[in-house]
Amino acid sequence: MRRSATRRMALQSLAAFVAGSPLLETPLLEAQQDPVRDQSRIKALRELESTFDFEPVAFAKLVRSVYDYTAYGSGGEFTMRRNRQAFEWADLIPAATPASGTVQTATTVLGTEMQYPIFVSPTATQGQLHPDGETAMRKGATAASNTPMIVSNNSTLPFAKVAAGPGSPLWVQLYPKQAMDDNKSYLEPAIAAGARAVVVTVDQQAPVYERALRGRNLTAGGRGGGRGGVVSVAASNPYRLPMYRLWYEWRFFDEIRTFVKVPILAKGILTAEDALLCLDHGVDAIYVSNHGGRSLDYSPSTFEVLPEIVDAVRGRVPVVFDGGIRRGADILKALALGANAVCIGRAVRWGLAAYGAEGVQKVLEILQAELKLAMLQTGRTTLAAVDRKMERVHFQ
Amino acid sequence: MRRRGFFEPLQLKVIAGSGKVPPLADLLQALDFESAAEAKLDPALFAEIAGGDRSALERITFRPRMMVNTTGLDLTSELLGAKLFAPIFAGPMGNLKRFHPEGEVAAARGASAAKAPFVLSADSDCSIQEVAAALKSPWWYQVYANAAPVAAKEKIRQASEAGAKALVITATGPVREWAAVEALRKGMKLPVVLKGVVSAAEAKAALEHGVQGIVVSRPARPGAAGLASPMESLASVVDTVAGRVPVLIDGGFRRGGDVLKALATGASAVLLGRPVVWALSAYGAEGVQSMLETTQTDLARDMAMCGKVNLKALDRTVIRVHKA
Ligand SMILES: Cc1cc2nc3c(=O)[nH]c(=O)nc-3n(C[C@H](O)[C@H](O)[C@H](O)COP(=O)(O)O)c2cc1C
Repeated sequence: MRRSATRRMALQSLAAFVAGSPLLETPLLEAQQDPVRDQSRIKALRELESTFDFEPVAFAKLVRSVYDYTAYGSGGEFTMRRNRQAFEWADLIPAATPASGTVQTATTVLGTEMQYPIFVSPTATQGQLHPDGETAMRKGATAASNTPMIVSNNSTLPFAKVAAGPGSPLWVQLYPKQAMDDNKSYLEPAIAAGARAVVVTVDQQAPVYERALRGRNLTAGGRGGGRGGVVSVAASNPYRLPMYRLWYEWRFFDEIRTFVKVPILAKGILTAEDALLCLDHGVDAIYVSNHGGRSLDYSPSTFEVLPEIVDAVRGRVPVVFDGGIRRGADILKALALGANAVCIGRAVRWGLAAYGAEGVQKVLEILQAELKLAMLQTGRTTLAAVDRKMERVHFQ
Repeated sequence: MRRRGFFEPLQLKVIAGSGKVPPLADLLQALDFESAAEAKLDPALFAEIAGGDRSALERITFRPRMMVNTTGLDLTSELLGAKLFAPIFAGPMGNLKRFHPEGEVAAARGASAAKAPFVLSADSDCSIQEVAAALKSPWWYQVYANAAPVAAKEKIRQASEAGAKALVITATGPVREWAAVEALRKGMKLPVVLKGVVSAAEAKAALEHGVQGIVVSRPARPGAAGLASPMESLASVVDTVAGRVPVLIDGGFRRGGDVLKALATGASAVLLGRPVVWALSAYGAEGVQSMLETTQTDLARDMAMCGKVNLKALDRTVIRVHKA
């Protein structure tokens, strides 16, 4: 009796933190000290059943610094935790499964056709996770019903190399550079090599990763440059703030538009005001993201700001969403609030690190199958039928 | 007891009471200094300065704004006639020689090196003159409302002579001791800042009695723990004061983002209390400097991420207050 009460209390106090961690799936709280880290055996690919199952395998296979680079969030990781928590503040309302049983999930975003409303998020240096890096990621994405992939500005392999050969559609991501020619010399070859849209990440003006600076963890580029600073960037204002991205301005979009003829997205939008500014500057789609909790800590979760942005945009441009997605039901919850598609960051990285292209494929196929199932369970057989009425939100 | 897991907030790892502190460069934020103090101090002494109520701060998120040029980022402001480099004070903390052999002098030296304003406590273990000599940044002197008037007035005179720019009177009694406040300020030129205000009604009374500033803070009196936390009352105090005098706040501020939440609500500055003692205990003046500088940089960064280039640009659209 006592034992189970204590156990229940322990579970309750854990709930905030482990929303979405393998702890929830594994009833081993007492038996095992740390069920995520203390794996005694690495599970085979066929044994992995949910996207959460890939992280422990990746952890077992990676050196700690590389594991941490994917796992961490900025500051005290409040926002990273909240990204997962927020999905608990929405309940999908079950409905009778339609008789037909077939679910239509295909869609088109900015001219890119896709079998599911799911992209691979742009994430840096995938070569750390697997020898074939972005090429393996694309191979896995292609195998999973041609899932489109957004290639990071900080990819291990150059865009043209990732784009070589047949495969799923590619978009290219850019961190704004102050010298316009630097943007041009990066984007033009990528677009020539097949990038069908440009994703401009606007949310990294001044981030700091405490965990990365703790010494035991490395950032993508090596040991951090010390307290309060972004890696090895000289501070040059009185408050020791790294200056190299503080110049960002909206007119950047007007300027790149002169030479970018494919659609342009702004990634990292978290307010209705900024969504409207995007429209003023001719941005073709809004990408709601807080960089997976790696930008400003104590930012809201992306899920809780999605309605305000969808309402501001009023269907004029597509809204793409990422942050904390680990289940098909998470995807459906975001679609129900009005996202046109979602992107997956860490989950596919764990898949890549765990089992290369096959791991990526399996992570995506799990999400696809779970999405279909969740649609059936909520009585929806088409994306067009997905709407706000199918979920109850109770944001905090 | 459950084990630390992946999803827990990050914390510096130390051995409590071991006397061994990590290298200063490993400390990234004020909360790390708490761990360092825990390592350095005798557990009973550490217990006196551990913790702090941050629950109201944890219920506030930012509304980050993108693509705003913040290269000219500036945290300076004018407060009661003094120019502040950043709106983060080392608050009044007494009896600091228990935590470091150089006590308040070391704390003052650290604050001064960080260009941070300082409030010297009436319970200082060091003389007013010694502390003043260690300070180049603006500083204020603090007394308790229930202090013996003759001795207190002599100290206030000394502080004023040594360069204090304002007098902070900390409320102590269950009812405001206006007679005592009047007696302390009589014949004195320094602006008076009343510390220990926790409600709009008290703020209104303070204005009626002509104070020149308010610090929203849990008063030093029994039963105060049950009151609304300073951060919960800040908005209503700011609204009541309506810009007539500056409103400051303390209680639980640790991260630069915490400071930003108060500034966005309408505070003019924030006082750090325990973090100063943590840093002093573990690293002396250098620790205090580093802790304050880290918090300043944190604030600067969070302002940039919210698209705000100076303190005047801040308003409540920067934040969202949540129910839980
Ligand atoms: C290890 C890692 C590297 C990332 N690198 C980039 C990047 O280079 N460019 C970018 O725009 N976003 C980057 N992101 C953010 C992702 O695109 C995406 O917004 C985020 O991962 C989504 O959250 P999730 O990981 O919870 O799915 C990165 C995220 C992670 C975890």
